Amino acid sequence: MNWTLALPEIVLALCGLAILVFGVVQKKGQPFLSCSMLTIGAFVLTAFLVVVSPDGTGYNHIFVNDSFARFMKLLSLAGGALATMLTVGYARELKVERFEFPVLLLFSTLGTMMMASSGNLMTLFIGLELSSLAIYILCAFARDDVRGAEAGLKYFVLGSLASGLLLYGSALVYGFAGTMEYGAIQTALSATSAVPMGLMIGIVFMLAGLTFKLSAVPFHMWTPDVYQGAPTPVTAFMAGAPKIAAFALLLRVMAGPFGHVAPQWQILIEAISIVSMLFGSLAAIPQTDIKRLMAYSSIGHMGYALMGLSAGTEEGMRGTLVYLTTYLLMNVGAFAVIIAMRRKGRAVTGIADLAGLGRTDPGLATAMAIFMFSMAGAPPLAGFFGKLMVFYAAINAHLFGLAAVGVVSSVIGAYYYVRIIKVMFFDEAAAPLDRRPLSLSFVSVGMGIATAGFLIVLGPVSTAAQAAAQALFR
Amino acid sequence: MMTQIVFYVFATVLVLSAGMVVSARNPVHSVLFLILAFFNAAGLFLVAGAEFLAMILVIVYVGAVAVLFLFVVMMLDVRFAQMREGLQRYAPFGAAVGLVLLAELALAFSHWQVAADIASVPHVVAAPGRTNTAALGDVLYTHYVFLFEACGLVLLVAMIGAIVLTLRERPMGRRQNIDRQHERTAADTLAMMTVPLGQGVAANGGFRRPEQSYYIASVPGSYGVTAEPVPQGKPAGAAPADGAPESGHGADNHGGLAQ
Amino acid sequence: MTGGLGSIGIGPYLTVSAILLVLGVFGIFLNRKNVIIILMSIELILLSANLNFVAFSSALGDLSGQVFTLFVLTIAAAESAIGLAIVTVYFRNRGSIEVEDITMMKG
Repeated sequence: MNWTLALPEIVLALCGLAILVFGVVQKKGQPFLSCSMLTIGAFVLTAFLVVVSPDGTGYNHIFVNDSFARFMKLLSLAGGALATMLTVGYARELKVERFEFPVLLLFSTLGTMMMASSGNLMTLFIGLELSSLAIYILCAFARDDVRGAEAGLKYFVLGSLASGLLLYGSALVYGFAGTMEYGAIQTALSATSAVPMGLMIGIVFMLAGLTFKLSAVPFHMWTPDVYQGAPTPVTAFMAGAPKIAAFALLLRVMAGPFGHVAPQWQILIEAISIVSMLFGSLAAIPQTDIKRLMAYSSIGHMGYALMGLSAGTEEGMRGTLVYLTTYLLMNVGAFAVIIAMRRKGRAVTGIADLAGLGRTDPGLATAMAIFMFSMAGAPPLAGFFGKLMVFYAAINAHLFGLAAVGVVSSVIGAYYYVRIIKVMFFDEAAAPLDRRPLSLSFVSVGMGIATAGFLIVLGPVSTAAQAAAQALFR
Repeated sequence: MMTQIVFYVFATVLVLSAGMVVSARNPVHSVLFLILAFFNAAGLFLVAGAEFLAMILVIVYVGAVAVLFLFVVMMLDVRFAQMREGLQRYAPFGAAVGLVLLAELALAFSHWQVAADIASVPHVVAAPGRTNTAALGDVLYTHYVFLFEACGLVLLVAMIGAIVLTLRERPMGRRQNIDRQHERTAADTLAMMTVPLGQGVAANGGFRRPEQSYYIASVPGSYGVTAEPVPQGKPAGAAPADGAPESGHGADNHGGLAQ
Repeated sequence: MTGGLGSIGIGPYLTVSAILLVLGVFGIFLNRKNVIIILMSIELILLSANLNFVAFSSALGDLSGQVFTLFVLTIAAAESAIGLAIVTVYFRNRGSIEVEDITMMKG
């Protein structure tokens, strides 16, 4: 038993416990800032350990570490660290100024890391729950805010239902294969010629549970309300690390244990992908609240990312991984801009509140324009390359209909992204926004540069994604 | 035969009480039916030979979770009279959908198929002669130690969450200062006196108070306690925030609060 | 495929758990009045999955199903604690836990 395989997780958990103790003992002081800084430090340390961690399976095949797990873990850690950074210096205004906030973010990220490394249905469920339970709390964290409490309640009820369905599905898979290990399930399934009904129901239930966490149609109902009601840094986190981890599970489970029955589920994924892309672009058009708009936009993005999975090839998986990387960058950046939208000490989230930002705050407006163009898929920016790779994979897998729907919905999506840019640069200027803390400028500028200059790192990222996708099929 | 009768009794009561959980009008009744459902599920676990889980189900669910539910149902002051309609409006439609779903599931499960080479799959088996509890213990802390620790973290997150969401610092309400409470010795609070026979208490100086009052052991600023002269190590900034009067807080005045 | 289940077999267990699942889902979607009943329905769904795990574990003679049930019980307890905490927060803000009131945000 090689316990050092899980060293990044163990170190992150110990850091979390230490930060919790640190926060509790200095209750009289202002532990929020120092705890946040320590949390970011813990994320960086863990990322370093992830990079140097060896390949292999440990803990009796419960835990798998390969280049796919490392890729996903680094993305999750980046999502967690950036979300923590978004609260620094602004916590009081966001009503999250208690030291438990970064600690819960840390444990949620730990859960997403476990999901990325799962080698067993149990690890899948426990990691998913560790990450989700922390997010339920974070949604309701601003406890005197009615909308926050409502968002937390809605997410909790629907999320628990999804977990329950996932669990029921994994019970059926266990009953069929007689084991919970991915490798052994794969062996059991490859020896079966006709897929029995019970197993199929199990797979569909698991798929439903996982697509809920992705907020893909038809399990998307919670997304707009929860995005709108939760504190904005929590929304930024929810749109990043947990979705990436849910994708990690989906890719690992579908390509690994259920890879043999791919023809049965591929059509389902394809349908989910098509509906998500179309719904995401069409439903976003009438929105007036930017957080709700981001929710619909994320539903659409999940549809594009699923396109790579429905291709079912290594190339498709690589496309999905690159897509998720670009999604994380532009999403965090856009949320940094949204958090910066405050006027006279109050948060404003209407799209109309962005009017004339190009004149009152050209820096922020330029950053937002970069993110919006990138999300629409305009060529030199990050979003373009992600879309290009998944479309390419879909065409190579002869899924022409899927690729055509993708192109059409990108064009529709471009309409509402460009509308935001039009509001910012060509509408009558509203009153200027409040001064923002340095951390928000840092994150939005950093993400802006990363999104605009993604071409420079495209080579290394796609090599890493290629290695990750290969590990998945080995 | 006996096993079958036991199984069907437990199963019937389980299903009926689960139905009552979702359809009862009074949430307190729902919780009580939930408890009944869990008892019967524990019975089914016993029939399947999972003794340890049956006991855990009763202890964890009936002892902790159901009591938590009852506590919250009673704490939230919900007017049950308003809850009359329950699920009437959509019930027929829902029942139809439910029956269809159930029929489909039953159809799929009627002939449960397992993988062809299930015998060759590596199973986790109990050592011969081990009881169920011992066998679970054998694997829980060895094969599954990673998940065991992860479950510990889930419980920690739940604890942090429950505290962070519901704990409110109240200025009212007396709390102990644990350090000072521990520092107190019997000599601070007790005085041994010899009282001669036949003499009243008054002759010995009347009822006496402790040399050092109990205020010292309370957190400054908590109910009824103000800036009491504290001998040692009082942290800075511990002055009462609620602006309580500085005077009139002698030991005698507040003596009654100690009990 | 009856293993440790003796004369009963796996079928009846699966049927009971399917009924519990349907009742739980039914309770979540048709309850319009009280959020706490919804939390209890979630417990029923988890119980139905647990029943499946235990039955399969016994039928296959494989302990891992029972170990998983143990973990699920832990997580379900944590989940209900968090759920009730969120309901309490919600009640403090709105003074109601009726499902039909949870509609501040729409669209």
